Amino acid sequence: MTPALPDIILGQALAMGAPQSPEAGGDYLAGRLGLLGMLAMLSAQEAELGVAARLWENRTMRALFARVAADQDATLGAALRLAALGEDTDFAWSALDAANADLRRLLILLHEAAEAGADPALDREILALYQEMASRRRLDLPAGLAG
Amino acid sequence: MTLADRLAAYLTRVSGVPTAVESLARISGGASRETYRFDTLAGVERAGFILRRDPPESLIDTDRRLEFLALRSFHGKGVAAPEALWLETDGAELERPFFIMRRIDGGAPGSPFAAEPFGDQAGAIGERFFSIMGRIAAEPLAGLPILEAAPMPAPEDCWRRELDYWAGVIEADEQHPQPIVRAAIRRLRRAPPPPAQRLSVVHGDYRSGNFLHDGEGGIVAVLDWEMAHLGDPLEDLAWAMDPLWTHPGDRRISGMIEPEAAFDVWRDASGLRIDPAALAWWRLFASVKGQAIWTSAAKAWRDGGMVEPVLAFSGWYTARRQDEILAQWLATPEAA
Repeated sequence: MTPALPDIILGQALAMGAPQSPEAGGDYLAGRLGLLGMLAMLSAQEAELGVAARLWENRTMRALFARVAADQDATLGAALRLAALGEDTDFAWSALDAANADLRRLLILLHEAAEAGADPALDREILALYQEMASRRRLDLPAGLAG
Repeated sequence: MTLADRLAAYLTRVSGVPTAVESLARISGGASRETYRFDTLAGVERAGFILRRDPPESLIDTDRRLEFLALRSFHGKGVAAPEALWLETDGAELERPFFIMRRIDGGAPGSPFAAEPFGDQAGAIGERFFSIMGRIAAEPLAGLPILEAAPMPAPEDCWRRELDYWAGVIEADEQHPQPIVRAAIRRLRRAPPPPAQRLSVVHGDYRSGNFLHDGEGGIVAVLDWEMAHLGDPLEDLAWAMDPLWTHPGDRRISGMIEPEAAFDVWRDASGLRIDPAALAWWRLFASVKGQAIWTSAAKAWRDGGMVEPVLAFSGWYTARRQDEILAQWLATPEAA
């Protein structure tokens, strides 16, 4: 996925301290500061919602894996069953993202299997899950701004 | 020596006339290149130029020679391409590869963050925008300078070449698994579009933020040709239509004109038809390409020491928005 919040915040600090050439003043500097301000506003949203989004995503993928593991081939089924037993107990961003990465890799394999095995119901369910995942990670620019 | 000193020395050498550089200032935009504006004074002649220099870390890995030759292919052909003058691919005099083009004054970009970036001129600018896009698509390839550097695909291979390239970028640069864009890539491979009606120059980043308008309905400069290539002209149309460039809830493309009006203008200017299935393929591809660029931005931001906020913004906020667009396309393409 995208950079995690701790890195984004660290990056803001590093950017503020980065030396700039004499030519990079005026409008360019104003634009750069504006972007840093925008990143700070988005960071506030992520700080509020990011952990909840990750916990929901991890929990939802595990529940899906538990439900459909028996319908998959032996190798994938075993991996799904094992992943479904997991639980998030360390709420550090890095720990949640590491667990999320493992689960997402399995979700990709499961979706490929659904497509190859012509399981339209599972395909639709995963596509709906993608929408919810993207929605829960959504960041909103302040009113009047969009992109 | 300052950058201005080195630039003056370079211009003096290539022009053969002692040249001073004044008012050198970096400007925003074109995240794949450092962009500077400056004036020159050679004898009594004053002129304005733009310097495009490779950055230490780039949003996209592009060939500056392609951009230079694309500009040369279209300057003076009614599509508002600035005049590209000097290219240095080894970049010795300015430390990194660069090229210089003549500056076009009197224009302003539409802000991607403004709710109404073009005000009451939106309709006129939109018509001009799609007319220029169509003219680029209509330009015969024979004799164009870009042919020196751009590979010529077979019409039936345009989609595969582009998809392979951008899927490869995601494969190489992603730092966290991305199931949504991978599902989109698989869908694109399962149902390829028909062969291109015509091989054209594809601008590659033709969108609302990459032109300057005069405030009176005219477009004075089309910029950022760094992703130019030969391919299916529907690719440019689809890229410009990506919802990323448009405020949610606005039917107009990038706050300019509605799709039906845009299609009419483009068809008239290009002489091409719009196959809905082909356009739908290229629209989903556009979002895949976008996600590849944002994935690269995140990597470039990290590799570059996390000091460029534009890369952080692209690799974070924009990538999240692109995921939403892709997820909607996959689940309900008719509503995207």
